[in-house]
Amino acid sequence: MDNYDTVDSHEHPWLGRLIKVGLFLLAQSIAVLLVSFVALLVSFETSWSATTEQASLLQPGDAKSGSLLLKQDGAYTEAIRLGIDVDITVSGPTLRTRVTQAFRNPTRDWVEATYVYPLATDGAVDTLKMVVGDRVIVGDIKERQQARIIYEQARRDGQKAALTEQERPNIFTNSVANIGPGETVLVQIEYQEPIHQSGNEYSLRVPLVVGPRYNPAPIVQSVDFRKDGSGWGATASDPVPDRDRISPEVADPARSAPLNPTSITVHLNSGFALGEVKSHHHNVKIESPDNRTRVVTLADGTVPADRDFELTWKPVAEKAPSVGLFREHVGDADYLLAFVTPPAAEQATQKPLPREVVFVIDNSGSMGGTSIEQAKASLLYALGRLQPNDRFNVIRFDDTMDVLFPTSLPADAAHVGEATSFVRALQARGGTEMVPAMRAALTDKINDTNMVRQIVFLTDGAIGNEQQLFETITAMRGRSRIFMVGIGSAPNTYLMTRASELGRGAFTHIGSVEQVEERMRGLFAKLENPAVTGLSAKFSEAKADVTPAIIPDVYRGEPLVLAAKLDKLAGSLEIKGRVGDRPWSVTLPLQNAAEGKGLSKLWARRKIGDAEVARTLREMAPEDTDKTILALALDHQIVTRLTSLVAVDKTPNRPDGEPLKLSELPINLPAGWDFAKVFGERPQLTPTQLRERRADAGQPATRRPAPVTPDAIRLPKTATSAEVKMIAGLIMIVLALILFVFNRRRTLLTDAA
Amino acid sequence: MPRLISPLVLALVGTILFGDGAYIHAKAWLAQVLLERAFDRSIETGQVVKPWSWADTWPVARIEVKRIGASAIVLEGTSGQALAFGPGHLDRTADAGERGVAVYAAHRDTHFRFLRNVAIGDVIDVTRSDGKRFRYRADSSAIVRFDASGIDPATGDFELMLTTCWPFDAITPGPERYLLHATLIGDGE
Repeated sequence: MDNYDTVDSHEHPWLGRLIKVGLFLLAQSIAVLLVSFVALLVSFETSWSATTEQASLLQPGDAKSGSLLLKQDGAYTEAIRLGIDVDITVSGPTLRTRVTQAFRNPTRDWVEATYVYPLATDGAVDTLKMVVGDRVIVGDIKERQQARIIYEQARRDGQKAALTEQERPNIFTNSVANIGPGETVLVQIEYQEPIHQSGNEYSLRVPLVVGPRYNPAPIVQSVDFRKDGSGWGATASDPVPDRDRISPEVADPARSAPLNPTSITVHLNSGFALGEVKSHHHNVKIESPDNRTRVVTLADGTVPADRDFELTWKPVAEKAPSVGLFREHVGDADYLLAFVTPPAAEQATQKPLPREVVFVIDNSGSMGGTSIEQAKASLLYALGRLQPNDRFNVIRFDDTMDVLFPTSLPADAAHVGEATSFVRALQARGGTEMVPAMRAALTDKINDTNMVRQIVFLTDGAIGNEQQLFETITAMRGRSRIFMVGIGSAPNTYLMTRASELGRGAFTHIGSVEQVEERMRGLFAKLENPAVTGLSAKFSEAKADVTPAIIPDVYRGEPLVLAAKLDKLAGSLEIKGRVGDRPWSVTLPLQNAAEGKGLSKLWARRKIGDAEVARTLREMAPEDTDKTILALALDHQIVTRLTSLVAVDKTPNRPDGEPLKLSELPINLPAGWDFAKVFGERPQLTPTQLRERRADAGQPATRRPAPVTPDAIRLPKTATSAEVKMIAGLIMIVLALILFVFNRRRTLLTDAA
Repeated sequence: MPRLISPLVLALVGTILFGDGAYIHAKAWLAQVLLERAFDRSIETGQVVKPWSWADTWPVARIEVKRIGASAIVLEGTSGQALAFGPGHLDRTADAGERGVAVYAAHRDTHFRFLRNVAIGDVIDVTRSDGKRFRYRADSSAIVRFDASGIDPATGDFELMLTTCWPFDAITPGPERYLLHATLIGDGE
């Protein structure tokens, strides 16, 4: 056989080759066919399942860039107009803000207006007043559903009604029904808020930017007093940066629509001789009736509500009082608000505490793309910042986990070098098993109480078992502090804030590689300068209900702020902690507390925050949480996610066509309110922020103009490279075939020759 | 023989490229099959069921447009990895059926290929992983830039937004997105 074959091939030398070529071509084409068949099957799967009926009503191509294809019932030029007046009275530790919104209806229809607006997160909204003509209707606090029913009923009956609802802890909605043609209805809400203190400086902040903002909530919500501390320019050394200012979600003014004209007045009664008073973003006029009082008004009368109003003030004295104690008697209870600034001056000159830092980096598949780059860059920056006397370790996890060193090691050049190459080699893949990693990080092997133990956790938080993570933290946190670093464009903010709150640390958000250095520098300011740790508060005699439940670390120059409800105002409050490496305590006799205003509401507001935390910890069942919140809210008359304020004008409506004249506006228009200016002909008062519906339409309009809020939500990339690849692949295969056949021919021809 | 090498290499690279592209589609298709199963189990058990053990996302809803017979399982989150398997539910947006706007995004060439066929007025059914069904009606569409979506997450209405890359037939990625807006009209039957 062998022989025969050989002879045969010798007889027909090109025939064998031809067969080989044929076989190769056959195999090749089968492979190509197979692959393309599978690809086609998959690629047209959806088309097959979708019948090819043409979309007849809409051609997306008709849509213009940036526009919403909405049918509108009326022209926008006839929109409801809104003017806002903000009147703030600062009395000592608290401030009361009255926001007056004037809804003016220049149209010939009866309308209902809905206005979404931001308020301070820690503000307790407790008053709603509606001013119609010369009548003032005061709103009542009701359960949310009930309030909604009352409002809808009034709306249908043609009565004027106003409703204040909480959409998010810092986003509220005011609805006003039955604003007559040419009429103006004033809606006033009032809220109580603590002032913010940072070092020598006191501050208040009024969010004016209309439209939802997705700032990550302040790190430890119960101490968000400190959020206004820095970023004011003057206090650049402040260890805790201002979360609001550094958040990437801050609206781009260039893209935001023109906003509602706003006037602002601040009556500042500081309680001490005032030094510098400064508005950071607005030109203001400042009058000084006496040395403890200032009246601040906008120099230009009104401004468009396009940025937050920030005011800071300092005492004349070199140093701000380091202790403030205020009380209020409401019902049968006493409420206490304490500001204590731990001694800090010498802390700055002290060498920083040695630290043990455990870095945890999430390299799961969800971190793929830029996220892992940001995480790696952040971690590399952090490694570079370590001091030789620090100890550190690195843990990486996906659905598996690696701990770099068996135990935390000194941050000398060799170890840092090893860690650096470990981090550089990381790639994003696999699942996200966060709990074991957190557990490993929390395991305190060295247990050296002379070292500060910190965990820096870099992740996008894309997990569903948050609860489990929170439970791990609560069970194992010991003396460790957890600093969450949220990576990527949309990290699980809920997880970040809660985890850092429970871990008594902070939350930093890094949304792009460019932000890495700035954010990490801010984080390190916190890591390197913990002024007071291990804080606890004790009342000697009074039985106290203290909030926050978990007292967070207090950073250099920041005050510790406590609110408490007491059964009696007797004995003293002792606060203990450690400043650097030394124990520190301070005792405040309660008798010396000064009278404050609205403290009970602040206490209630913070208790509500605590209840929400307890719910996430499952210390409280959701129903119990709701019950607690509802009781607190009804008791203290504040708006929450479960309660709303509603006001209904029972008197019959004035007849149609009778316009409300300017002179009819009530005299309790706040000082500084210039009606003509407020309603001056600003073109297009953003109908986008002001959703309205015609009262006589009966049914709520099914469609409303979608508000154009500046990039609150970024849409992900939704195109694959599949088609490019497949097309390129096909072209190459075809080219290869042509080349092959061409070559073959030439070979055959030469052979034949 | 050396003459054979260049076409062979070319063919090999071509096949790999083609296979890579086909793999994206295959993955998208296969994942939906697995997700479909996981989702059904989610509804039965009321628990979060991961479609495969190492997944870091899980099905949260099924969207269906009955008129054109399209359906897809939506995943939590919109990381690149999640979007390879199915439409993603944008973080920080409401769940379907809740007050606010639920935003689902998917690739224009895989799971949301059907979006071009959805007309204004079409009914979109959303089944949540807890078994609750909601019915939406498509009422507007828009082309926006990815960073200027104009979506109001705090809207007082019950809204649904489906989004994918625009234009539909482009083969390179671009900054524009197609938005399809729908409003809740009631619970599913």
